[in-house]
Amino acid sequence: METLTWITLAIIVLVLLAWYLTYSAARLDRLHAKVEGAAAALDAQLVRRAESALELATSGLLDPASSLLLVDAASQSLDRTVSHDEGHFLRFESFAGRESAESDLTGALNAALSDQSVADLKMRGAGIAEELLERVSAAGLRVQLARRFYNQAVTEVQRVRRKRVVRIFRLAGYAEMPETVEFDDELTLTSSGG
Amino acid sequence: MRIGLVCPYAFDVPGGVQYHVRDLAEHFLREGHDVQVLAPIDHDVPLPDYVTSCGHAVPVRYNGSVARLSFGPVTSSRVSRWLEQHQFDVVHIHEPISPSTSLLALWATESPVVATFHTSNIRSRAMQAAYPLLRPSLEKITGRIAVSEAARRTVTSHLGGDAVVIPNGVCVADFADAAPRPEWQGSEDGPTLAFLGRIDEPRKGLPVLASAMDEVLRGRPGTRLLVAGPGDVEAAQERMSPQVQEATTFLGLVSDEDKAALLSSVDAYIAPHTGGESFGIVLVEAMAAGAPVVASDLSAFSAVLDGEANGRLFSNGDAEGCARSILALLDSPADRARLRSAGQERARLYDWSVVADQIMAVYETVTHAADVAATVPESGLWARLVRPLTRDSENG
Repeated sequence: METLTWITLAIIVLVLLAWYLTYSAARLDRLHAKVEGAAAALDAQLVRRAESALELATSGLLDPASSLLLVDAASQSLDRTVSHDEGHFLRFESFAGRESAESDLTGALNAALSDQSVADLKMRGAGIAEELLERVSAAGLRVQLARRFYNQAVTEVQRVRRKRVVRIFRLAGYAEMPETVEFDDELTLTSSGG
Repeated sequence: MRIGLVCPYAFDVPGGVQYHVRDLAEHFLREGHDVQVLAPIDHDVPLPDYVTSCGHAVPVRYNGSVARLSFGPVTSSRVSRWLEQHQFDVVHIHEPISPSTSLLALWATESPVVATFHTSNIRSRAMQAAYPLLRPSLEKITGRIAVSEAARRTVTSHLGGDAVVIPNGVCVADFADAAPRPEWQGSEDGPTLAFLGRIDEPRKGLPVLASAMDEVLRGRPGTRLLVAGPGDVEAAQERMSPQVQEATTFLGLVSDEDKAALLSSVDAYIAPHTGGESFGIVLVEAMAAGAPVVASDLSAFSAVLDGEANGRLFSNGDAEGCARSILALLDSPADRARLRSAGQERARLYDWSVVADQIMAVYETVTHAADVAATVPESGLWARLVRPLTRDSENG
């Protein structure tokens, strides 16, 4: 009777543990997928922002110095866009080294698009300038959103992966620990409502 | 885009969150999106056809005030049915942690989730107890929006992580185009001031304004105070001195049109709130209508006014400071004119056309992320328990 009780208890504990591990693993899977999704969204928006900056720079509406500055920063950003190596199992490091390039692009956009030069652009370029600026501003806003949502997802993964049960049972498997992405994405053009 | 908006409070009862949901829904409908709203309903009143009722709301004390919420098995199954029936591209949940439709929808949904946090005064003890329970549900939220910096701070300190700040929207044109009414307009000798809000709720600040009015009347005897808002008029009058009573007109609960007309008629709008405001939508409405604003220096208010660039601030609860600011403003027509035009310019930042574009950008970012996330294969528990071990032995 004694032993039977112990065996029953042990089985109950094992079943509960198995359930909890399955649940935690599924939760972590979901969070990892969320980080992947957020990373893809951020990547796409960064590319869009760089492309819109390039488009503006090569439109001939800006002065040559500003154009050159923008072309340089935008192409630096586009160069760093790594192609996604598909079959690899959850690798999150794709933003390493891109942060400085993106900060630089933000800086270049802010320098090239001061209030004065925006006013000048709108005067000279009329409809086309408005459209190009609108595109840069919209892409800039989306980069801000995507970066915050990505960092959000990363902190959620980090919190769950710090849990003891996740570490002991290696529920994270191969997946690298994702890291938040920090760069300056504050466009004066976007924040002034343009 | 198929958008599902979830409102936790009774839709037919006035309130900031409800107005926000209604205006947002109507804006996206006008832009041609497929929008549905799910909310509790208090009375059997006719509803716009985009609203689905999830049952009657029950008055419950929650987070320091009485809220009309809806919960229980019936509500829960209605929420699930609504989600299943519409298959939304994005579900936008307001106040996701209020124990009502919002929490149930967050629990049940399989669609990408955007959540807007409106409050800044969440009681921390209750929340610290509840968050570990709610965390797995909260992880479903892909895009977090806070309506102000104050609301964002609450989110980050309680939940960690971050949220993007997108302010509440206002139909600027409704206020900018409102025609002033002669009976509410002031004259050189008798300027008019407006107060809006429940008159028996002390944190709306009527007591502060009432004692400031004593001082104002000494400086400018002809000043009139117009008070628009529901509540017990006699009780409010009892708390006023006789001369302030004399100078005050109680208008009761006014319609949206009357509110806009009132704000465009008066010489100043006074916001003496003492706390609990996370945004200050009335300030934006006043600016849109062209009313110079005198407000207490709550962080939400000073954010909306951008410091003193678009209004005047006095320290919270300070009746004398309030009176000084009002008198200085009444003495200077140039200052009033400047604030009028600066405020109208400022209000445009909060127009629905601007705000809804930002919210749409959030939807697009979130749906993009969700599409990619859906393609990530699940690795399963077994693979993970075994694979790291084999990998270790290979390496080791």
